[in-house]
This record gives sequence, C-alpha cells and structure tokens, in this order.
Amino acid sequence: MQRDKFFKEIENVRHPNETLIKTHCAYCGMQCGMNLRVNKATNKIIGVEPRYDWPVNLGKMCPKGVTAYQQTNHDDRILKPLIRDDTSLKGTKDGFREATWDEAYDLIAVKFKELQEQYGKDTLSVFSGVSMTNEKCYLTGKFARVAMQTRYIDYNGRFCMSSAAGGFLRSFGVDRGSTLPWTDVHETDCLFIAGSNTGECHPTSMFRVWAVQERGGYLIVADPRETAIARRADVHLDLRPGTDLALANGILNLLIQNGYADADFVNNHTNGFEETKELVKEFTPEYTSELTGVAPEKIIRAAEIYGKAPNAIVMFARGIEQQQKGVDNVSAYTNMALVTGKIGRPKAGVATFTGQGNGQGGREHGQKSDLLPGYRKLTNPKHVEEVCQVWGITPEEMPLPGVSAYEMFELMEEKTIRGLYLLCSNPAVSAPNQNFVRKALKGLDFMVCSDFYLSESAEFADVILPSVTWSEDEGTVTNLEGRIIKINKAQEPIGESKPDWQIQVELAERIGRGKYFSHLKTAKDVADEFRLASKGGYADYYGATWDKIDKQDGVFWPCKDENDPGTPHMFLDKKFYHPDGKAKICALPYRPPAEEPCEEYPLRLTTGRVVYHYLSGNQTRRIQFLRDMCPDPFVEVHPETAAKYNIEHEERVRLFSRRGEAVYKVKVTEAIRKDTVFVPYHWGHDQSINLLTNPALDPISRMPEFKACAAQIEKLELKKVQQ
Amino acid sequence: MKKRLYLELENCIGCRSCLAACTQCGGHEERNRNYVYDVNPLVNRQTMPLMCLHCENPACARSCPAQAIQIHETGAVLSALVEKCIGCQNCTIACPYGIPKFDTEQNLMYKCDMCIDRSKDGIPPMCASVCPSNTIQWLSDSEIEAKKNQFNLNNGKWVTSMPFLEGETNVKVNLPGILQGVTKLF
Repeated sequence: MQRDKFFKEIENVRHPNETLIKTHCAYCGMQCGMNLRVNKATNKIIGVEPRYDWPVNLGKMCPKGVTAYQQTNHDDRILKPLIRDDTSLKGTKDGFREATWDEAYDLIAVKFKELQEQYGKDTLSVFSGVSMTNEKCYLTGKFARVAMQTRYIDYNGRFCMSSAAGGFLRSFGVDRGSTLPWTDVHETDCLFIAGSNTGECHPTSMFRVWAVQERGGYLIVADPRETAIARRADVHLDLRPGTDLALANGILNLLIQNGYADADFVNNHTNGFEETKELVKEFTPEYTSELTGVAPEKIIRAAEIYGKAPNAIVMFARGIEQQQKGVDNVSAYTNMALVTGKIGRPKAGVATFTGQGNGQGGREHGQKSDLLPGYRKLTNPKHVEEVCQVWGITPEEMPLPGVSAYEMFELMEEKTIRGLYLLCSNPAVSAPNQNFVRKALKGLDFMVCSDFYLSESAEFADVILPSVTWSEDEGTVTNLEGRIIKINKAQEPIGESKPDWQIQVELAERIGRGKYFSHLKTAKDVADEFRLASKGGYADYYGATWDKIDKQDGVFWPCKDENDPGTPHMFLDKKFYHPDGKAKICALPYRPPAEEPCEEYPLRLTTGRVVYHYLSGNQTRRIQFLRDMCPDPFVEVHPETAAKYNIEHEERVRLFSRRGEAVYKVKVTEAIRKDTVFVPYHWGHDQSINLLTNPALDPISRMPEFKACAAQIEKLELKKVQQ
Repeated sequence: MKKRLYLELENCIGCRSCLAACTQCGGHEERNRNYVYDVNPLVNRQTMPLMCLHCENPACARSCPAQAIQIHETGAVLSALVEKCIGCQNCTIACPYGIPKFDTEQNLMYKCDMCIDRSKDGIPPMCASVCPSNTIQWLSDSEIEAKKNQFNLNNGKWVTSMPFLEGETNVKVNLPGILQGVTKLF
C-alpha cells in the first residue's frame, strides 16, 4: 500500500439498497479510482461515489470521471447487431437494420472469406484502440494474426502515444511511460512540464502539481498557450508550436555549460554525452530564442531552476509527441534527466501523461503492427518463437509486420486493403487529413465496426456489432505510472451487447480458427493466457495476478512471478535496458515542423483537448452535463491577430489549411501566441479540426504531426462578398 | 471535529468538477448548486468557484418571511424547506453573493446545503471530495490556521471573515495571488 501525506481515512456514504463496486474511470491514463453505485434490486449503475482510498487520485475526479457512469445505460447504446444492405448510404447514420448475432457473424465470415480468396490474406485489416483492457488488446493482436491471418493490424495509439514509446525505447531501451509512481510527484523540487495542458487533460494530477509549488518548489511549463498550469508556472516557456527540439537542446546546452551535468552518472551509466555536448553547443539562448520565440532570459532561468533542483521530474504529453519529430522531442527532454543524473531514484525521473485509458498497456501486447505480447518484436525470430508456443501456431504461420495506422488508410485508398475490422476507435474523427481518411473508409469493400455507440466511423460500416462499456466487463489496464489495475464489472451487459473478447472468440469459430480460441470462456481465461504470453518480455505481466492487484493497490510492471511485488521505481540499480546496461544520451539536430507558415497560410495551427471531452468525443459528447459545458469547438485567437483579420469574439470564421477547411466560433484570448491559433479536436463531421491537420509522419513512431501546421483564418462575410 | 470548506482560489483550473459532483449529491436532484466564474476570459484562464459561504448570520434566512431557511447545527445554511417556502424569492435578492436560485416549476428556492447528508457525518461535500486541483478543501479549524500561518500573511485580507458583507462565514477563502509570497526552495 502506497499512502502519501495527502491520504485521509474517509468513509464512503452507503445506502442500504445499493452496492459500491470499486473500479476505475473509463477515460484518460490517470485511471482514477472510483466507486460505481449499483442498485441491488435492478442491478443497474445509478451513480458514482468517490474512492478515497485509491492512492493515485484519493477520491478526486474530473467532470468526465464524475459523469462516466452515465455511459452504460445511455439511450444511444446499440443493443443489437446492425447490418447495412444499401451500401450507397455509407458514411451516414442511415440504412442500418437490426439483425441477429448469427446473421451478423455469418455475413462477416462469408465476406472475409470472399475477400481473402480473391485478394489474399492481407487484404483484411484490424484497426483497434487502447481504451480497452490489456486482455482485449492482447486478444485483438492474436485475433488479427491467428484468426484473420493478416499482417495489417495497428491501433490508435499511433495518434497518441507511439512517440513516447519510441523515445523511451531509444533512450532507456524500455518503454514505461513513467519511471516513478505518481505519489512521488508532489515530493519533488521541480516539475518541468512540456507540451501538456495538464489542467484540462489530466486534472487529477493538479493537486500534486500545486503541492510542489505550495512547498516552495518550482514549476516550469513549455506550451504555446497560457493554460491553467502555465498561468501559475514560475517560468512559462511560450514557444512556437513544433519547436520543442530546439528548446530542449537549448536548455541541455545551458545545463552542460553551467556545470549542472553529473559527471559520475554520465560516465558510468550513459553513452553519447560528448557527441550530444558538441551538437547542442550552437543552441545558445539567443539562437534558441530565434528558433522558438521564447525570450532568452526565460530559457536561462528554466535551465538554472532545473539544474539546481536536487530532485526534478521532466514530464511531457502530446504537445511534444504529436509532431513529425515526436520521438526526437521525447529523447531530447529525456536527455535533461540523463545528463544531470536526475533519474533512477525516488522523486526524480521522466514521465509522460498518457492520453488514453490504457495507452501504456495497449501498446505493449501486440496491437502495434510490429509488436507481439510483452513488447516482443515481430522481427526477432526468438520473440516470434516464444509467442507461437503460447498461441499454438508455427513461426511460418506468423504474419509479417504491417504498417502504421495512417499508412493503413493509404493502403485502403490504393485497394491493397479491402476489408476492415474496427473496434474501440473512431478514426473518422481522430485521424489527420480527414478528407482523405473518410474517402478511404468509404471505398472499403467490407467494414465491420464494434462499438457501443454509433460513432462517426461506424457510419462507414457494413456491420455494427454492439459491444459493452467498461463497466460491463472486467480485466486489467495499465495507467500512466505503469501500474496494472483491475477494472471490475458493475452490471450485466444491456440488450444483446457482448464484450469484445467474447465476440472475437465466437467470430474465430465462424471463420474456422476456433481451435485457437475456444478454450477462452471467461475474461479470467483471457487474462491467464495473456499473462503467460507476456512472460519473459520487457513488459512482463506474468506475476500481476488479479489477486495481487487487489491486495497491493495495483502492481507496477515488470512483475515477473508470484513473489515479485512489481517495480514502482524504474532503474533504481542504475541499470538501463540496452545490452550494455547504459542509457543513451541522444544528439538530435533540430528540424522545423513539416509545414512552415507562408504567405498563403501565415498562421500556425495547433490542436488539443478541453476538459469536458475525451478523444473523438464519441462518448463524452453524448453526456448531457459535458455537452452543456462545451457543446461546440472554437478557435482561440490572440486579440491582436483578431484585430488584424478584423474578426471579433464569438464571430464565426473559416479556418483552412492545404488539406481542408472548417467553420468555427472565435474565442479571443490573450492566453495564446499571436502567430498561433488553437482548436480542440473532439468533434466530427464538418466540425473536425482534423480536416486541416497534417499527416506528415515521424520516421520512427509513424505518428502524424497534429500539433503544428500552416493555416489561414478568414472572416465569413468577407468570403461571401468575394464570391 | 468540526470541519469547514476552505477555498484556495489560486488553485482553480476551471474544470467544473465541482458542478458535476454537486449533481451527484443525494437530494440535489441532479442540479448543481454551485458555479464557476471566469474572472476575465478574454485575458487569461483565471477561474473561481462560486458557492454559498454559509454565513453565520445569513441574509437569505434573515430575509425569509416564512422561516423556510434553516441553519443546521454544523453551521450549514440549508435550502428552503418545501413545506414552508412561499416562493417570494426574498432570499435570492438578499444574498450578496448571488447564490440562491429559484425553481419556478417547484416554486422553491434551492442552494448549496454543504451536502448535509454527507457533511453531518464528517464526510466531505461532493465538490470538496472530487476537486482535482485542491481548490475546494474540507479542513479542520487547526488545518485552516496552519494554512494561514504557512502563507505568513498578516494583511487582514486573508479570509472573508473580515467585517464586510455578511460578516463571519463558515466557508473560508484564500484569495488569488498570495502564493507569490512563498519563499522558494532554491
């Protein structure tokens, strides 16, 4: 049990006709603990009660968490399988009829077989998400490769977490999003937070952030916008979107020049220091300022604070990761911790804020096009052999590595991929360059979508399978600390909906691959096979039994066997996961965003979240309270920029880039740079900002550049006059 | 041990969890009874929760001709009693903080009652339970005193207990901007 100084023993309110089910929030990577109130007589979830004893959030919840329970019995739930007979209506909500499970399964089996016979096994694809349990993530990887026998599987973590994974793998040889538990955050002396709007994206971290300042500790925030967290920062590095690499190099240069490097740590536990030292020399405060737009004195002050701090944590999120150099950005900020030796001990380290509920576990167990369970690689014959033994197939039967998420749409467009099984994801909102992606989805020969609401992506499907919400199933997820936690079932699935793992087992039977799946009769069966499949991998979950998770308030991976309590702090022995046991300090030349402003598109567009909505908004836009608080997207514009374009607060404007356009209401605020505009990304159809965003991919993580592209803004009336 | 609501306004991130949580309190009928105010939305993101301060001598209760507004033994000023409220709306006009709202359908005033079904048993109100930024806290008098000393402010402006508006309140407020006085570690 990890209790910190904020922990207070508080009793929950209990009503005689109710049961409290301990579980975790459906949304972001914080996975806050909560109790669902369940009516004993009707077996329905009726409300929420804080879970004061959960060490990560101590009962605290954001507005999404408070209202998450309203998902399950919502009127919009899909209760029966739906089939669309008229394909001309694809891309709309219309044309679906209710069907039986048998009818839906038969149709899928026939269509899959037809396509594969005509175009080869790899003509089918799987696109999944990481808002699902580790067990489901694991089984989806197995289902694609063993049941569907296709190489093309990837997941929406490519839009969210893969750059953090790539950066950590390169720097440390292992990718665990946080090197320390969250309870350490408030005890550190300095938080360096880059590209994270923590107040809106991970609000339940905020009491720890403020606690650092309350003790006299420091907060440094790098963000183009003056977010709630930047407002109170000791130094706000208000950089141009897409210039993080220059800023990190500039700070690293100052840390080295001003004597804050830890020579012992660098010599004994790292490689690459000299090369990096040479490279960052040119990033003087003045040159860095020229590239980033941040005043030199702010850069100097930030480096001084981080350098002097006895303990410090570098934290970051999508702001630095959703760029075509996201992996470099992650490694560059990680360099700060490695050069100063502020890692491998409590209260100091590196952490990324995970966006999706299981962004960590979901990327470790084989949904990624090149990975197998336990972070094993498809390109490593030994790894393939190990997984084949668990799955009961031969290495020859194992499909080759596929391509990344966005690249799958490119293959759909060129008809290499003709069939898609989509689950727990909504790429018709969340992928960049929407005009292209929607065309690719519409052109598919056959598409199956598993979801509990009719999402924007489900509108392109031929068959929709009703799946369950998080509270109607059980399993484990891994939160942003690397803590494996247990999601508990609070009510039985409503209507005819089924958990995805059960759908996959039944579907495997229909397509003639049942012998590899038929032994999985409960979620626990899947969990046991999954733990075995991860055994011996970097992300080893074998020892994280459901019992142990309950007893210990979660288990940090790696957890190798029954007697291993898990690993809350990484690298305490100063051993990193590269073959020589050393971490890599990376020399990273600066490169600008893929698209720079020009005469035609003079503004920089950046995107992000609002606190009331989650990802594509498919879930949160349906919750009354959240919709009331923020019904529509908006574009944030600085007053001087607004004046230049003769636009006013709350006026509707056309925003456009090389790829598309959309109309938004203007929100004038001084809290944004003059050369930048911001739009939140939770809306679909013609409100989607991803109509404009740039699909330029990071060479390593294959993550698109959501955070910086060139755009232009236009007064709507003006356009009418011109026409 | 008696506890009070304590508002650290500087901490507010404008997430409105307190509003969502308020709808979850038993007896609130899924309506929030607290509010969040954007201080200057065109300039920055400073926000502040706005809720009943539970005055010791509340204007709402004083102005009520039907004695429908009860003061609980814990100090919480409760919503209007259904059987007594005559719907005159004196209370909504009298409150200097603009807190009581009027439900025309029920012909009844409703306001923050400090989640009395929770707070009477020492369980924090829902807003204080969930507030992710520690803006709304549920503290004992000694903890509040420690806060006061921590910030070393002796300027007489620290809490709303100064003799203005309604005098002494059961909710204590720490105004924005004062944390700048904290001595930094290095």
